[in-house]
Amino acid sequence: MIAIINYGSGNIQAIGNIYTRLNIPYIVVSEPEQLNEATKIILPGVGAFDQAINELEKSGLRQSLNEHVLQRKKNILGICVGMQLLAHSSEEGIAKGLGWIDGTVKKFEHSSFTQATHLPHMGWNNVEPKKPNELFEEVDLNFGYYFLHSYYFSCNQQEDILSVTHYGKQFVSAVSSNNIYGVQFHPEKSHQAGIQLLKNFANL
Amino acid sequence: MNNSVQICTNCVMDTSDAVITFDEKGVCDHCNDFYKNVLPNWHTDDRGRTTLNQIVEKIKKLGKGKDFDCILGMSGGVDSSFLLHMAVKDFGLRPLVFHVDGGWNSELAVNNIEVMIDKLKLDLFTEVIDWEDMRDFQLAFFKAGVPHLDIPQDHAFIATLYNFANKHNIKYILNGGNISTECVRNPLEWMYYGTDMAQLNDIRNRYCTRPLKNYPFSPILKHKLYLRYIKGIQVVKPLNYIPYMKKDAIKLLTEQYGWKEYPQKHFESRFTKFYEGYWLPEKFGYDTRKVQYSSLILTNQMTREEALEKLKLPAYDPATIEDDFKYIATKLEISVDELRSYFKAPNKSYKDYKSQQRMFNTGAKALKLFGIEKAIKR
Amino acid sequence: MLRPRIIPCLLVHNKGLVKTVNFSQPKYVGDPINAVKIFNEKEVDELVVLDIDATVNNIEPDYIMIQNLAVECRMPLCYGGGVKTAEQAKRIIKLGVEKVAISSAAVENPNIIPAIAEQIGSQSVVVVMDIKKNLKTGKYEIWTHNAKKNTCKDPVEFAKQLEQLGVGEITVNSIDQDGVMKGYDHNLITKIREVISVPITVLGGAGKFHDIELLIKKFGIIGAAAGSLFVFKGIYKAVLINYPSRQDKINIFNKAEYSI
Repeated sequence: MIAIINYGSGNIQAIGNIYTRLNIPYIVVSEPEQLNEATKIILPGVGAFDQAINELEKSGLRQSLNEHVLQRKKNILGICVGMQLLAHSSEEGIAKGLGWIDGTVKKFEHSSFTQATHLPHMGWNNVEPKKPNELFEEVDLNFGYYFLHSYYFSCNQQEDILSVTHYGKQFVSAVSSNNIYGVQFHPEKSHQAGIQLLKNFANL
Repeated sequence: MNNSVQICTNCVMDTSDAVITFDEKGVCDHCNDFYKNVLPNWHTDDRGRTTLNQIVEKIKKLGKGKDFDCILGMSGGVDSSFLLHMAVKDFGLRPLVFHVDGGWNSELAVNNIEVMIDKLKLDLFTEVIDWEDMRDFQLAFFKAGVPHLDIPQDHAFIATLYNFANKHNIKYILNGGNISTECVRNPLEWMYYGTDMAQLNDIRNRYCTRPLKNYPFSPILKHKLYLRYIKGIQVVKPLNYIPYMKKDAIKLLTEQYGWKEYPQKHFESRFTKFYEGYWLPEKFGYDTRKVQYSSLILTNQMTREEALEKLKLPAYDPATIEDDFKYIATKLEISVDELRSYFKAPNKSYKDYKSQQRMFNTGAKALKLFGIEKAIKR
Repeated sequence: MLRPRIIPCLLVHNKGLVKTVNFSQPKYVGDPINAVKIFNEKEVDELVVLDIDATVNNIEPDYIMIQNLAVECRMPLCYGGGVKTAEQAKRIIKLGVEKVAISSAAVENPNIIPAIAEQIGSQSVVVVMDIKKNLKTGKYEIWTHNAKKNTCKDPVEFAKQLEQLGVGEITVNSIDQDGVMKGYDHNLITKIREVISVPITVLGGAGKFHDIELLIKKFGIIGAAAGSLFVFKGIYKAVLINYPSRQDKINIFNKAEYSI
């Protein structure tokens, strides 16, 4: 059963709509105990880093997620801010991230851009996978994915980089390490490319 | 499946058509009528061409000096699309191309209309039916429990098309109807006349909640008699005068226009897809594929074995049916449970409501007597 | 590389879709749900749906309609119309909508912006400015209530203020060009673009793909929104939903000399 974490952030309904149409069952989880039913977890998220982490802690989900993901090795997919939470910390705030993937979250540097209007990175852009993986299987990469963010994940380990995208310069658009995955873009808002990715995650 | 079903030995029509009859060889009346009454008069060779050329000349003559010499209703389906191609590219006609939007267009249909219009450099007219009225009228038919749920869409199309032809003083309607893929007609029990005002009004009076001020009603008297015989508007079916093979038509349209094929006939409308794919066969046991495949069998475009093989699978897609069901309910502004209750309700037929059927039968017989309409229209 | 967004914009009036010219003469264009479904199947970049009745009639947004539309969208959906409070915005977002657009509420009480941003994140807050040129003074002014009330506010100053308050995106909607299909108002866009750095989407005037090419050529990354262009076809304004295909988009970007 796929569990979509509800911690007050992210387009849960949109993710749910996709799984409903795919006839893949899911539950929305807001309490730690509910995670017991989960075989796979999706951590969505929009908005600010600190706020997201604080909500996770308040609900007790942070601890529970540590157990299910790090110990029980359940697959997890972080989306947008959900992916950024996988890092140690973010320039956006002061809170401590989950630290599951070795890296920090940084703001796009002004110097990379010629246009005044360049943040947030909003719209359709392409991803380039950097290692073999099941997440992008059968995805038409030419179509691209929808992005909406001002900060990006900076990996300390090359092997954690799942895909890169070009905006001003090249940045990490997806990460993966063992059972942990994160995508900076919004698969729930990226038409067929997104539906396929969510389907692939469910079928891992 | 009911074991006492008898299937025609020639086509695939069976006793789900309640009034079907079989001869001593087990061949049904649809087939025999085709061989006896239709085939001998159906010419797609030089004879057909000559007749067609005469008609085209008449159209051109009458249309001289006018913006358009004929009118063609486009659904995005293969017949009307191919007809449009022939009308412009082959016959050299100048059709007013027209589409009626009943609120159920699939993206495929919209795309196919667009590619044809663009490539042929034509201008399109549309009539968008007031959705609130259409929805109420459509729901009324669900509540009535009858099989002919397509009437609200059908009637709107017919009414609007004739009104348009009249308004623009166009004397010829090009119709994509054809013997090649439609020689076997849907039994009346399955799909009743869309122009029987007694039936429409009875269902409307009993089940509609809105006054339907914006819905285009048009009685048969008006369109078949007044507009046709008095104002002189004629319907022409050019696809009957040339060799029309479905596979070839699709190939041409795809290659020349970027036209995209539909999974099944009439699936350019989301409603018809649900109605013919699920509602009719599952609620009533009426599978329109049998009618379509039988036509193709009679015209040598499909074998009976192929048809029987395809009929083993459901007419709807099991993977998407739940979603389709939900969409229909959402559009009708009812709950899924309410829609299901109509599905489970007792099956009615046109006989449970008022009808002008007797008048039709007399009229159809008269037309046949004058040799105007071949084949039993039942 | 990031691509400029091409965004159909739909107006809802009396539960049906309409298209206007200069914000008046609404022409009925059909059922919203089926239209959104078709746009979704055409894989549009984003979709904007604006209820033009809610504010003038002082009624709540139609949450059921919004939910039904959101179910059909596999791309970002922006809803606007009658949104006045942070609670309403939050409720709308929860239905699966990406962004909430406010117009008159922002003009009447700009502080609503940080309040809404706090609930749904500033990236989801869009302010739509309906703008008309004053024929006497030649100055641009913001109007509300379907171009019935002139606030006399200067859109350039207001845009600056909005950015300070934390708006996520500003939509520049030209009343003068609405439905006319003769091209975007580059002059107006330039004035606003010069003073802010948040994303801009422009609406009003697109009549053909060439108008979008010109827009992108001049402004680079921008949201090109259109109503009439994606709903009408040909000289008789037949109602036929259309949207640039992938190849069409590549052609548009090439002609705009925008490299992707």
